[in-house]
Amino acid sequence: MGAELSLTGVRHVRGGREVLGVDSLVVGRGEHLSVLGPNGAGKTTLLRLLAGVESPHAGDVTVDGVSTARGGVELRRRVAYATQRPGLLSTSVRRNVELPLRWRKVPRPLRGELALAALERLSVAHLADRPASALSGGEQQRVSLARALAIDPAVLLLDEPAEGLDAQSRSAFFADLEQALADRATTVVQVSHRADEALRLADRVVILVDGRVRQVGSPDVLNRFPADARVAALVGYENLVDAYVELDGTVLIGGSQTGLTSDLSGPVVVAAFANGVRIVPADAPGLPVRVTRVTPGPGHRAVALEGSVSLLAQMPIYGSSLSVGDDVRVGFAPALTTVLPKASG
Amino acid sequence: MVEPLYEVLARSAYVSLTATLIASVIGIGLGTALGLARLPGRAFLTAVVNTGMAVPTVVVGLAVALLLWRSGPLGDLGLIYTVRGMIVAQVLIATPLITGITMSALQLLPPDLPDQLRSLGANRAQRVVRLWIEARLPLLAAAMAGFGHAISEVGSATIVGGNIHGQTQVMTTAIVENVGRGEFGVAIVYGVILLGLAFVINALLVSVQRPGASWAQS
Repeated sequence: MGAELSLTGVRHVRGGREVLGVDSLVVGRGEHLSVLGPNGAGKTTLLRLLAGVESPHAGDVTVDGVSTARGGVELRRRVAYATQRPGLLSTSVRRNVELPLRWRKVPRPLRGELALAALERLSVAHLADRPASALSGGEQQRVSLARALAIDPAVLLLDEPAEGLDAQSRSAFFADLEQALADRATTVVQVSHRADEALRLADRVVILVDGRVRQVGSPDVLNRFPADARVAALVGYENLVDAYVELDGTVLIGGSQTGLTSDLSGPVVVAAFANGVRIVPADAPGLPVRVTRVTPGPGHRAVALEGSVSLLAQMPIYGSSLSVGDDVRVGFAPALTTVLPKASG
Repeated sequence: MVEPLYEVLARSAYVSLTATLIASVIGIGLGTALGLARLPGRAFLTAVVNTGMAVPTVVVGLAVALLLWRSGPLGDLGLIYTVRGMIVAQVLIATPLITGITMSALQLLPPDLPDQLRSLGANRAQRVVRLWIEARLPLLAAAMAGFGHAISEVGSATIVGGNIHGQTQVMTTAIVENVGRGEFGVAIVYGVILLGLAFVINALLVSVQRPGASWAQS
């Protein structure tokens, strides 16, 4: 059974600087909340406060209404916190997973069963008798997660759980994480600086910048309606360019028509995913640009474009024959582009 | 009357092993407090420990002798010129060394490990025990260093023990006495045996701390 988490009027100071300020944030029972932000945004601090490892200098952090500052070890034992470094202890994999169960006074035979079941969920049961120090980075991450899940926590806190893994291992890790959490009602808070990981399993995403909550919303809402340019950049919009909205709503970039319209007026920022930048016919509204670089990628080509602004486009690997030096016109796919107020960027 | 060599050897081992055991309990406890807790005056205490590591054993012997002297503040305990008095002196010699190495060993563990153990649900005692296990190799090294320091010292053994045949003579004081009498051959034999004793005890400890020797059980 998951627990409800709440932060109210939280202020946390480190080295004389306020590193986290959250007026109000509630995570519902069984909810999967992702916290997305750049390095130094206060993400780990948020997790440490939720884990009860640190207490806020002001405000209250609660788990099911009980303050983490006063809940003591019993409250902390309802919360599993997988830190960014797997931090496995210098003993066998099995013992690593069993230790938190022993500290919770789980009977020995049951400890073994639960530990093995958790290792199996993360596909690392075959490593049970190996020393933890002999595991690869990916295996250590899985064991760390198995250790967190073995105690059947009400709350699972994940700090950049796939940090240090290669792309393939990351993908496999998140697939296993998704499966391991599928039949549980655990409340999960996961922090990441990578949009793809933060959005992947989340019911809701909090954007944290400079210790402040910038936006909260579902992955779809954040993708489609980022609050400002900073949020758009974090969510993964590759292009953020200055633009201007005329009185009739037409959006211009460098004085050129873009084919976009907006309810805003005056200076704005156009945020566009790279795959939303399209080559348009010569007579259609669009920006005149020159191709400056074409880089092959998996299933696509990344195309750097220079005109009145710099843009990055993604073209299918087949069907586009752009070469460096080509002059083309580009427009924007409205579903993959958004117009944001400039002042808040 | 010449005391059999094995009795001197046994007394040396008894005094130094007992002193090392007591100093390990005190030193590991103190080193843990200094290494982990945010105590007021921690920097000062650390400086005191570091100074203690460098104090000549003869100075420790002098201080202990003044305390244990029959007319001294602890004279009523009757420890001067006794094995127990020598143990007290060697505890004072070995403790700063063990404290200092313990403190460094715990500070060299990953800095987020105590918090991690906390977040895994360990209470304070469980955290400390686990940290000792994680630092077991340097902690064993601390005990070995303490033992080496204790068994090889001669200053306090002479001043506090008095090198009394059959009562407080240990290997180091016997070597000094034999050199003083020009019995270099006997002194060399004592020296080699002392080296052998130190080697055997250290070899036993090294066998315990072989990499991988204990990971499965810890």
